[in-house]
Amino acid sequence: MSVQPYNEDQTDALQEVANIAMGQAGDSLARILDNFVTLSVPRIRQIAIHELVDTVTTMVGDEEEVSAVRQAFYNSLRGEAIVIFTQSGADELAELLGYDCELDAAIEQELLLEVGNLLVGAILSGISETLGTEVGFSAPSLMAERTPLYQVLAPDQLSWQHALLVEVNFSVEKHRFKSHLLMFMTEETIETLRSILDEFMDDF
Amino acid sequence: MTDSQPPNLLDFIVDRTHAGIFVVNRDMELVLWNQFMEVHSGRKAQTLLGKNLFDAFPELPRKWLARKVENVFILKNFSFTSWEQRPYLFKFPHNRPVTGGVDCMRQDCTLMPVKNTLGDVEYVCFTLFDVTDTSIYQQQLTALTQELREVSNHDGLTQLFNRRYIEETLSKEFKRAQRYSHPLTVILSDIDHFKQVNDTHGHLAGDEVLRIISRRLQSNLRDTDVLGRYGGEEFLIVLPNTGTKGGKVLAERLRHAIESEPVTFGDIHLSINISLGITELREEDSRDYEQLIGEADQALYQSKESGRNQATVFTANNPAN
Repeated sequence: MSVQPYNEDQTDALQEVANIAMGQAGDSLARILDNFVTLSVPRIRQIAIHELVDTVTTMVGDEEEVSAVRQAFYNSLRGEAIVIFTQSGADELAELLGYDCELDAAIEQELLLEVGNLLVGAILSGISETLGTEVGFSAPSLMAERTPLYQVLAPDQLSWQHALLVEVNFSVEKHRFKSHLLMFMTEETIETLRSILDEFMDDF
Repeated sequence: MTDSQPPNLLDFIVDRTHAGIFVVNRDMELVLWNQFMEVHSGRKAQTLLGKNLFDAFPELPRKWLARKVENVFILKNFSFTSWEQRPYLFKFPHNRPVTGGVDCMRQDCTLMPVKNTLGDVEYVCFTLFDVTDTSIYQQQLTALTQELREVSNHDGLTQLFNRRYIEETLSKEFKRAQRYSHPLTVILSDIDHFKQVNDTHGHLAGDEVLRIISRRLQSNLRDTDVLGRYGGEEFLIVLPNTGTKGGKVLAERLRHAIESEPVTFGDIHLSINISLGITELREEDSRDYEQLIGEADQALYQSKESGRNQATVFTANNPAN
């Protein structure tokens, strides 16, 4: 089954929905972190898996070693989200998230999982709420720590054929904490989302 | 006699399922505490309901957990904890006779927002799973994998990395150096007249020489250099982020470390020397890591031809090639 890319209207609608979601997410994250949080306007692209490494490399930068968290989501939207962190800045985030102990490897991992979960949850809950659908989440897991990007996203390691690339830069005031979000969705979900987006546009 | 009422299935399942389920409200007061939690904590629901979770269990990591729960209220989003990073939330005993060093129940937790009809989060529901078995298997597997990796990467006699591993390392470093335009140098070294040691003193003596030379080479390397036994009395050294200049300095240091002190075992004292060949990755004409090994071998041959106990840097227009 081949998947048609979303047309311009559908992409616009998705962009709009993602903007709303990220706006809400930024608000909530700022409350949680008690700090000014900047979430960039998400850039959305639909890509085939063979373009993935090049596209993400361009996005993240070639030199970087990255850490990555994956999390599955299910219900009417089904797929897997991957959050790529380029700079951990873990000690700063630890403080913001209420950790008052020494940072060790386990806590760093927990922080990555925590922030990954926050971002994935924020954007997907935002999208599904705006679109009036339900979404549930599995526990996030660590995919890679300080690994060259091209090893993290080796195409033969991924079972997905299509990815919706949502580029969101997340930074906290005075701290540079960059992350990128990738959403991989089943073909079925891409179609489901298409029809939901069509309905969503009809409502305007 | 009263009529039989159908049992409330959902209540029954929530209470009896083999997972901990408990619910807190915005003030962190417990509003549900199922049988699993009762059994493992030794605290009955009737004594806990309405009580603040942290007052009832002061040993909980309050600051962190309160924040996590608050986040679920604010973000209306799931949250998780995993035994791999945080072994447990509640310190419960486990039911395993064979513990594999695990002192108490390992737990995975999910925090779910429970929304009211307005879509606001009214409660946070915790589910807590006993993953002690999984964690023990995982630990055993990790230990075993680690052990296997050690064995399969090392040479039994010298305890240096073996040929397969050192080639793999070189192959990776070659790709990395090429990709990021970093320098990379390779040294191939060979013990001079090793056959004579074997012939004169026997193979056991030869083995001992190999062990002593290996230790001495290893102790003279920098942290990032990787040394492996490449063949019988041949050693391969991979020097990431190093050009031939640095490579030559290191090679001389190694050569001197072997030459300066006789190899001694029992009452035998042997003067041993090594010869070395050095080459580096050249962006314009280095095809693959095998080519580097070939060049280092040619330079090593040069060292041998010129009288041994020396280090030679490979040059592409060397007349001997």
